[in-house]
Amino acid sequence: MGCCYSSENETTEQDPDERKPLIPHPNPVSKPPNGTDWITTNVPSARTDEQALLTSILHKTAQNIIDVSAADSVMMEQHEYMDKARQYSTKLAVLSNSLPQKKALALPSLTSQPHQVLASDLVPYSDVQQVSKIAAYAYSAISQIKVDAKEELVVQFAIP
Amino acid sequence: QNLNSSRYLRLLIMESTLEQHLDDTMKNPAVVGVLCTDQQGHNLGCRGSLSDEHGGVVSVLAKQAAALTRDPTDTPTVCLESESGNILVRSHGTITVAVHKIAS
Repeated sequence: MGCCYSSENETTEQDPDERKPLIPHPNPVSKPPNGTDWITTNVPSARTDEQALLTSILHKTAQNIIDVSAADSVMMEQHEYMDKARQYSTKLAVLSNSLPQKKALALPSLTSQPHQVLASDLVPYSDVQQVSKIAAYAYSAISQIKVDAKEELVVQFAIP
Repeated sequence: QNLNSSRYLRLLIMESTLEQHLDDTMKNPAVVGVLCTDQQGHNLGCRGSLSDEHGGVVSVLAKQAAALTRDPTDTPTVCLESESGNILVRSHGTITVAVHKIAS
């Protein structure tokens, strides 16, 4: 905003409104570096403007602030918090016990003696080829799926 | 009613192709389980020791293994070895197949 400071020496003769930026700063808290200096030193009638500006800044800032600490202290005491934590964890424990054992999703036949497995022969290449062939065949079997349209898919529901 | 029957028809076609292939695979005496899953881990068909709840693990294993190589045409085969047999996981296009083979 170079135009704001382009005629610094003649500010007393000018309307203060002229120096206002056309686009207000998006963040009212962080002011342009020399903006306040200009208002306080050069414009005699700017006193009330300054007050109004400060009030609006305060107002906007207050609107943007969520006072978490105040909310916390009002809402919950320390022992209350502990009680809730305990209550939730017991609830969770009960629920997780009643849930089906979905953790038993391990693939079958895992080994308890890894050294034996590691010391054994390599996987035969024929097995790798075989699974590759099975996969290719399954892919072609699936890609051959076609919908054999024999009836209308759009049907009328129970219209008397 | 008609809408439902069309869907059943589609499923039947699917079974007749893929399920036959799964049955044929199981005829190999060393194969004790086979599973076919899509990229999201949805089970498309399974036999023997591999059941539909393994679909997610199988598809993720294949996906992670494929992420190790930079060549998109180089499809890896994941092999889980154990003393009682191996589970080989292999992708082809949009599907992943797992075959459980016992040591023969």
